[in-house]
Amino acid sequence: MHDFMALIERHGYLLVSSIVFAEAVGLPVPAAIGLVGAGAAAASGILHPGLMLLSVLLSMMAGDALLFVLGRYTGWALLGVLCRVSVNPETCILRSAESFYKRGKATLIIAKFIPGINTMAPPLAGSMRMRPWQFVRLDFLGASLYILAYFGVGYVFRDFLATITHGLQTAGRAMEEVLLLAIIGYAVYRIWLYRKNSVYRVVPRIQVEELARRLASENESNVLIADVRSHGYYDPGAARIKGSVRLEPNNLAEELKNFPKDKDIYLYCT
Amino acid sequence: MLREQGFNAFVIVGGLAAWKKAGQPLESVPGNDLVKLPTFN
Repeated sequence: MHDFMALIERHGYLLVSSIVFAEAVGLPVPAAIGLVGAGAAAASGILHPGLMLLSVLLSMMAGDALLFVLGRYTGWALLGVLCRVSVNPETCILRSAESFYKRGKATLIIAKFIPGINTMAPPLAGSMRMRPWQFVRLDFLGASLYILAYFGVGYVFRDFLATITHGLQTAGRAMEEVLLLAIIGYAVYRIWLYRKNSVYRVVPRIQVEELARRLASENESNVLIADVRSHGYYDPGAARIKGSVRLEPNNLAEELKNFPKDKDIYLYCT
Repeated sequence: MLREQGFNAFVIVGGLAAWKKAGQPLESVPGNDLVKLPTFN
């Protein structure tokens, strides 16, 4: 934190604005910590609070506007990219979409505080054809709320943060070890989650070439190819394997009632 | 789940991307299969 504060002192406006912009466009950077630090720096007189707030607000809104425009013109393809780092991209997209639909336009005001929705809300708004000026107004409110909340914490609790920083310096080595253990623990957790969600371990797999040979040599009526994508069905012009049928993975129990048990079923996603 | 319910299911390695890459035939998703996004306007 001390090093971070020293960096803020030297490159404050550019550094914090860049962090905020990076988070707004979906990069995994801690904008909240940057804002808290900026608030503390402003309270100490290192940075001008008004200028800092204006700078980070414009940066955040610029990042959001970029995703809004991309969402408007690329549709669900962008959501797929943003969810690519997720353990389960399909669930990531659908959870974000469902949350946005359920809460409506006002989601933009609180979206920054909801993990998983924060980056998805602007491109969703673009995909759902929200009017640009309406988006700007709601995004302005949401970004202001988010920035003021974290900036305010740093501003108000500057002395408390300084105490924590001093304590961290004193216990620096111990903290490094704790942080290292936390990072290792997190990595192990992610690997466990990935393995838990890996369906490929229990279902037989087939290479494309082998399936093509089977289709060419066997009676096609014995074969059923099922497309288990969801987000592939939101973009007009989307393609699928010729002759395949849709199998909605989020409604599997119902969908399977109409599926034949006397055929080999080949599943695919993106 | 498919296997548990008695379906003889397989997973295509690489999915649609591998199918495309291999030059296998594709078709457009039928219009009535497309899920329409709700729009604000």
